[in-house]
Order: sequence, then structure tokens, then C-alpha cells
Amino acid sequence: MRRLLHLPFSILLVLALVLSACSSSTSPPQTDSKPSGQEEQPAQAGQSGGATPSDTLVVAISSDQGTLDPAVSMDNSAWKITYPTYQRLVEYDGASTEVKPGLAKEWQVSPDGLEWTFTLNEGFKFADGTPVTADAVKFTFDRTLAIKKGPYDVYSVIKEVKVNSPTSVTFVLSKNFPPFLSTLAANYGGIVNPKVKEHEKDGDLGQNYLANNTMGSGPYQLEEWIKGQYFKLTPNPHYPEQPALKTVFFKIISDPTAQRLQLEQGEVDIAEGIPVEQLNAFDNSPNIEVLQNPSLFVDYVYINTSKGHEALRDKRVRQALSYAIDYNALAETVQQGYATQMRGPIPKGMWGHDESAHQYSYNVEKAKALLAEAGVSNLELTLLYSDNKPWWETEALTLQAFFADIGVKLNLNKVAYATSREMMDKGDFDLCLGVWSPDFADPFMFMNYWFDSNNFGLSGNRAFYKNDKVDELVRKAASINDQAERTKLYQEAQRIVIEEAPYLYLYQKDSLLPVNKAVKGYVYNPMLEGIYNLAEMSK
Amino acid sequence: MKQLIAKRLSLLVFVLFGVTLMTFFMSHVIPGDPARMMVGQRADEETLQEVRRQLGLDQPVWVQYFSYMKGLLTGDLGISIRTQQPVIDDLVTFFPATLELALFAFLLAILIGIPIGILSAVKKDTAWDHGGRLFSIAGVSTPVFWSGLVGILIFYKLLGWLPSGGRLELGAAAPQHITGLYLLDSLLTLDWDAFRNSLWHLILPALTLSFAQLAIVTRQVRASMLEVLGQEYIRTAMANGIKGPLLLFRYALRNALIPTITVVGLSFGSLLGGAVVTETIFGWPGMGKYVVDSIAYLDFPAIMGFTLVIAVGYVLINLLVDLTYYLLNPQIRE
Repeated sequence: MRRLLHLPFSILLVLALVLSACSSSTSPPQTDSKPSGQEEQPAQAGQSGGATPSDTLVVAISSDQGTLDPAVSMDNSAWKITYPTYQRLVEYDGASTEVKPGLAKEWQVSPDGLEWTFTLNEGFKFADGTPVTADAVKFTFDRTLAIKKGPYDVYSVIKEVKVNSPTSVTFVLSKNFPPFLSTLAANYGGIVNPKVKEHEKDGDLGQNYLANNTMGSGPYQLEEWIKGQYFKLTPNPHYPEQPALKTVFFKIISDPTAQRLQLEQGEVDIAEGIPVEQLNAFDNSPNIEVLQNPSLFVDYVYINTSKGHEALRDKRVRQALSYAIDYNALAETVQQGYATQMRGPIPKGMWGHDESAHQYSYNVEKAKALLAEAGVSNLELTLLYSDNKPWWETEALTLQAFFADIGVKLNLNKVAYATSREMMDKGDFDLCLGVWSPDFADPFMFMNYWFDSNNFGLSGNRAFYKNDKVDELVRKAASINDQAERTKLYQEAQRIVIEEAPYLYLYQKDSLLPVNKAVKGYVYNPMLEGIYNLAEMSK
Repeated sequence: MKQLIAKRLSLLVFVLFGVTLMTFFMSHVIPGDPARMMVGQRADEETLQEVRRQLGLDQPVWVQYFSYMKGLLTGDLGISIRTQQPVIDDLVTFFPATLELALFAFLLAILIGIPIGILSAVKKDTAWDHGGRLFSIAGVSTPVFWSGLVGILIFYKLLGWLPSGGRLELGAAAPQHITGLYLLDSLLTLDWDAFRNSLWHLILPALTLSFAQLAIVTRQVRASMLEVLGQEYIRTAMANGIKGPLLLFRYALRNALIPTITVVGLSFGSLLGGAVVTETIFGWPGMGKYVVDSIAYLDFPAIMGFTLVIAVGYVLINLLVDLTYYLLNPQIRE
């Protein structure tokens, strides 16, 4: 019997031994975090507790990605992987929303806006050494249009792509589409190596292959993707200027606390998934800084102006709701102050933004007066939202409290994300929380999507708002190429939609990114949210 | 015995039919449109219809179900909407990780749980027993997300003994693929670096996952041991001078194990299905994480595939439990 007693202890002892054997054999002894950037460590990254080597960047991301095919992916969290592996005809210039030459060194547009001709730079090659030619450009867009998935929608305006010479290509559009140039700088404008045809299976145009591999001419290529664990990017050997970072890992760490611990230990250099309320923890950190940049990501409320509660058809009621909100307190409560109140639909940082436009302020008396004027009392509304954004719960409760002050009872209706989208599309709500960020750098993204009455539902006009004058203005602005003229039209439309308040224009979120101080050269571009300029970064 | 297996396996067909039917219709009844999820939120109606057509979502639900079942009979689980890969390939990628984690946790639960259970029964109402009880109550009542984080805090941050997550070190080569279970594959190929590396990564998540199961095993073993030890045949054996390990293992434990096996067997099923939280905390690339992402994306084929694997797993475990009964208890053989 006594021998029996030893059993659990022996097991524990064995376990403890295995444990210590493993830790001592595989991990280096723990030293206090050394300043990184001067390590002489073996090439293998991510040693427990140690900083990563200076030519290796490790970015913690929250989840694995779906398809990587630029002709299919509409999920911008996958673009951080693909964007540095492809090149586009034009690229966003540094931190600005303007474009600069990319694969194309120059371009002309015909006066009617229907023909765009690009002259290609010579000397760029795909990662397998194949030169990038006009044929590859044609191949890419023909492929996207043939696959007919998400990006097809953006490029359906293309009637034909013509190859004039190996370095010249012309896009013929079916109608004038001023934001066209900007769409070419987005992820789906990435030029694909025509050799993907060799990987075609059952006529899928290589979709299956490109879902897991990259075939571009960007500074990097995807070397390895271990599902559920990490992506590994290495330089494209044929890229003219070799980047300083020789290996970039995107490591999948779902748990925010685990991300934070690994960032603190120097095991990752950038952590994307740490919620805003945990970022204060880095205030006094010697190694980590939180980069803060104004983004074009807006958080707003759709007011259902035609299918929702009857009272919402009266603009005075919508204005009353707009006056009922203490915008500063909201930003403070929901975003820890890392947000700026919107001034109309076009956010600051996007051309067309009007600094002189009317901005709603917190005014309970005025809100009550407007409700009384509209003859509305005991108003009871339902607010739809989902678990898609972690801060929506707090936001919904905060709005509920504000509206209670003007005598409006707000019932909260929280549903699953997919369900909420279905309900938004059908207009099955009174008020609904939403977010929006532009795919291309043009006020079109806000004004035409949100207010054109042809876009009812999920596609953009989620307030089901119709105003003939606004329709006319935004459609006209979308049909001409003169930016000054377009700005004028958009600003005129903006004045109307601010006054009519079909949305509650809440705030522009700041982009916050905790980064190890050793990381140099990162430039935030609001059009490339979550995408890194890896080729210019170093440690 | 062969009859039993054949009978059970034929039941499997009905179970699977029921499971596919329920999952399929349930996932199609809830509102939400996977085509929408795929094209992005701003696509126009034409693109949307085209994608619906490509996915077969424009067909009536029962037509979709029959074409799914037709595919299933030929081993085709469809293409995942989110990853654009055949679901079977995704499952082959993610299932071994979950299986490895669950098996190792199961092993820990048995290796630690059974001895503690026996000890608590033999040393009833002593400090040993109370200690065992405290341990198991702590196990059942500690949520995994908490014990996992505490584990990371202690063993990763404070002591630096264990990694905080993942299956292998970042960039380390995985062992040659044979079963997909890294520990087993590295043993089979005598790849000691990979073996150490994967064992080192497996310990913390497996301990966390096994903590709750361990408690259940301990309590069950203790209870049935006490019951068995009070029976007359044990007293007879003791009167005949049989004592010590022989009495405990040969006479008592064998009978006490029968109810334990049911509990343990089913707990393995819940380990498989319930590894989601553990996988999230430890960045373990298993099926749990995969299916959660799939559900958020309304990826029907992936959800169906996952459900099928779990259903088959449960049926097989039940069969194994029954077979073990059969071996342990000669009476059942009749």
C-alpha cells in the first residue's frame, strides 16, 4: 500500500522533470529584456522570452485568413499579407490618399474619362523572374472580370483592356468613373503573374492555387503559410531594391492577453489585437509605444428614414436625436478618447471634407424643442447592433442613456453579425449601429454609397434615404473628372444631408497600434488600414 | 463481438443522416447570406446573384441538401466558402492538432486522475482525501480561459519555462507528415528536435484542457472504488490474506473502472468538441478555432464538415466504451 502512495508523486515528478528538461533544452535562459535591434541570435525567430532578430519582424494578428486571391478577397484583414506581395499600376503615396506611380510610370485619361492609358516601368519582375508586361496587366483584369466575385463589382465598369505594346495598356470604361485611378491602388488592383494558368484546376483560373499562394511582383512573396499558426514572407529576389527585413512573420494569436504578453516579452514586434482599454498598460513601457493616427474609419448610426418608425420620417426628429448626443463623452466612454467627432459624412483626411460644415453639438433643450415641434412624445425606438465590434455594447448603452434624457426610449436589439446584415439589408430596424471605411480614396465612397437612392440596403444607403436634389448632385459629381468641380458638388450635397440628418454622424476612430520601439520606418496610410509598408521598414 | 461492432457501425449511418439533416436545415434557416459575406458589403445585386449561383445558393434548400448528400457519399464535403479550399483538406489540416491536444489532455486526466481517485478512496477522510477533493473541485469550477491565462502568466511570463502558445516554435520545421500528430510523427521519424519542441508546446494547453476532466475522473474513481471496497468479495479476499496492490488493482480497480470508463469515454468527446477556448488562448491551430471562424462567416460546408467529424467521433468513442466494457466484464459477453 505504501508503494502505491508513491504513484501520483512519481508521475508528478516525471512530469516536472520532462517540463524542466524541455524548457532548459529548447529555450535560452531568461534574461531581462535586452534592447532589441542588436541581438546576435540564431535565425529562428520567436524564442520564448527573447527579442526577435533585427532582420525579422513578427506581427501578431488575431485570426487566420480566408482566400488570398486578389480577384476574390474582399476581406481587408487578408490584404496585409497580399498587399506587399503584389504591385499595382499606381500606389498610395506615403501617408497621403493621393496616388503615385507604381508599375505604371505615367498615365493619361481621355477627355470623356472613358479611356485610361498607362505606360509601364521596365525592370519589374514577378517572384519567379518573369517580367511584368502589359499582357500581365490585361490578364489580371480579364481574370478578375471572369471570376465574377467581390472585386468584379468594383471593376465591372471596365469594358475592355487593350495591350498597345509590351509597356502600354489602355482600359476602356463603359462609363466615366472618376475614382477609377484610386481603385487601381487597392488590393484587388494587384497584378498577377499570368503563369498562374499552369495551376489551373477545373477551369478555376487558378483560384484554388492563389487562395494559398502569392504570384506577384511586390517586394515580398509568401514563402510559407502554416494554417492557424503563421504566414512567413520573404523578399522577392527579383525586386529592384531589396528590403531590410528579410523575414516577416504574421503570427496568429487569437487571445488579446497572450498578444500583450508576447509583445511585452519582445517575442512579437507589433500586436494588432489588443483592445483599446488595455493600451494604457503600455504608457510607462520602456520598449513599447502606441502609435496613434487619425483614420478614415467612421462609426455612425443609420436612421431608417423610410422603413423604420414613422416618426423618423420627420427630419426634426432625426435632428433631435443628433442633438441629444454628447459627442465628446461618447468618444471618451466608447473609445477612451481616441476618436474625433465627425463633421458631416466625409471624414477629415479625405478630400471633399468641409471644415466649415455644420456639426451637431450636445443640446438637450434644443432636442426636446424639436421633438415638441414635430409633435412627437413617448417615442420608443429599437436600436439594432451585433457583436461585430467589441465597443458596440457600450455604445448602445451610452446612446440609450442620452436618448432617455430627451424622453426617447431606446430598446436594444443585439443579434448575430450575419443576422444583423440581413436585417440591415431589408431595412428591418429603426436605428442601427454601423461602421464604414473607404476602399478607394474618393468622397464617392461616402456620398454616393450612403445617399444615392439606388443603393438602398447593405450596398450603402442604409438609412433608406431619398432626396432628389441629393441624388442629382452626387450622380453629377460621379460623372465628371474635375476635382474642384466635384468638391463643390459634394459639399453642396453634404450641406443637405447634414441638415436632414439621415444618419447620426458619430466619430472617426483613431488607428492605434502598439509597436516595439525598435521598429523603424512604419508609415500609416488611412487608405491602407492594417497594411504595412514592409519594404521601407527596419529594426 | 463482431456482431456488436457491425450493429453499432450500421447505427452510425442513421446517426449521421440525422445529424446532417438537422445541421443542414438549421444552418440554412437562420437568417444570413454567405454570398453577402463573400462579396463584401457593397457589391451590387448582379454580383451577388452570380456568387449565389456559383455557390448553389439559388437552389431550393432540399435540392442543396440532396446535392450535398450526393457529394458526401463520394467523400466530397464541398468547398469552404471562407477558405475556398475543399472542406476535407481543411479538416485534414486542423483535425490532427485538435486530436493531439485532446488525446494528450485525456492521457493526463487518466494518468493523474485515476491514482488520485484511488488514493482518495483508500485514504478516505484523511488529509489526502480532502486534498484530492479540493483539487478536483478547483478543477471543475475553474473556467478554462482563466486557468489557461494563469498558466501562461506563471510558466511563460514569470518562470519562462514554457511557450505561451502555438504548436511549434515560429519558423521551426514540422516533423514529416504521417498522422499529423506532431508528437507521434516526430517519434516515428526519430526527429528529436521536433519531438521536444512539440512536447514543450503541448504541455500547458493539455494541462489546462485536462484540468476539468481530471476532476471528473478523480471523483468518479473515488466513488466507485469506495463502493467496490465495501463489497463482500473484497472482504472475502482480504480474509484470504490478499492485500496491497494485488487486492487494489486486480480485485477492486477492475470493477471500479467499469462506471469510470463511461464517464471518461464521454469526457473525451467533450474534450474534442470543447477545445475551442483552449485553442483560442494558446493559439492552437485546431478545428475549434476553424469552426468558430466558419460560423461567423456562415460557411455552411465547413460547419457541416466539423459537425460530421464530431458526430463520427462520438459514435466511435461510444463503440470503444462498449467494447472496453465487453473486455472488462465477462457477464456482458453473454
